[in-house]
Amino acid sequence: MNTKTVVAKVALEVLVAVDLAREVRGGYCSDLLSDVLAHAKSGDLWITHQRHLNVIAVGKLRDVAGVVFARGLCPSQDVISRAVAERMNLFLSTEPAFEVAGRLHRALHP
Amino acid sequence: MRWWRADLHIHSILSPCASLDMSPRRIVAEARRAGLDLIAVCDHNAAENGRYVRRLAAGTPVVLMGMGIQTAEEVEILAYFADEEDSLLLETELQNSLPDVPCTPELFGDQVVVNEEGEIARRVERLLLSPVDLTLSEVVRRVGELGGLAIPAHVDRVPGGLLAMLGLFPEGDWPWVVEIAPWTSLSDVYEAWPGLRGRPILRGSDAHYPEEIGRAWTDLYLAAPTLDELRAAFRGRDGRAIQPGPELKERQ
Repeated sequence: MNTKTVVAKVALEVLVAVDLAREVRGGYCSDLLSDVLAHAKSGDLWITHQRHLNVIAVGKLRDVAGVVFARGLCPSQDVISRAVAERMNLFLSTEPAFEVAGRLHRALHP
Repeated sequence: MRWWRADLHIHSILSPCASLDMSPRRIVAEARRAGLDLIAVCDHNAAENGRYVRRLAAGTPVVLMGMGIQTAEEVEILAYFADEEDSLLLETELQNSLPDVPCTPELFGDQVVVNEEGEIARRVERLLLSPVDLTLSEVVRRVGELGGLAIPAHVDRVPGGLLAMLGLFPEGDWPWVVEIAPWTSLSDVYEAWPGLRGRPILRGSDAHYPEEIGRAWTDLYLAAPTLDELRAAFRGRDGRAIQPGPELKERQ
């Protein structure tokens, strides 16, 4: 499913949209960046509460389709600027991570 | 100059996760038993018991003021100060920024300030294990402004280790120095994080129980066991050196 469709189905707010045609293949939930580095897969939509700047580097290294900040935890401007520079889709949801992941799972596995 | 043995990561009874036996008096006794020349008490977002440990130790061992700060990212930073007032000022700032979550002793343990007489000076109501409302870069900057040294604790360990939590080193020259856990071997840490090569590495006991004090240490080649000398050793000035002790064989 492409990112644009996922954004609509999961009701995500778009913070940075660089490639909404990108295929979302799955999801990954973690706030522990070493865990994401080890286990997230290319094409995952990554749901997190972690807002450190390293999120962008880790997301790029794992080639995730985008990052969703859950529970309305909007990242700072330097994170957003870095996402633009590194071409990383960023999204925000006011919903808790559990709800975001549930919606994503339903969308990908109807 | 000579070698001094240091354990710069000891929790006291003020950390809810530490034993009730970790009173200032007991910490001093155990540090002497372990032959330590220099120690620091690093409670979670708290420094107060350090001053009682320092008074009781009366120079044997030398006591740096310390703190283990939980940043907003939940990274644990060890902060060291020469001066009591600087560390206590930071403690107040940090504790005022903690979420209003009470420490339920049955669940988390007690958070008690104990003076040199062994009396309870006060209990801290808010849970000290919570992260403060400052990001990692804000914590590092504030510690520096107050004349302290900020070092990431047990970088490879969950919870709280910088590299475990954030995956990679942050941008910039900080941290120049890192602490590793008692069980981490230098070869493993270099293999997992090649960026650590060439950086000074401290090993601390992260003691939560009296018998753990001095179970892991760092030897420091300094003119005197002071914060300024430690700072000079971090840059390898004039032959000063830092040598972490061996790792513990079994994770406890």
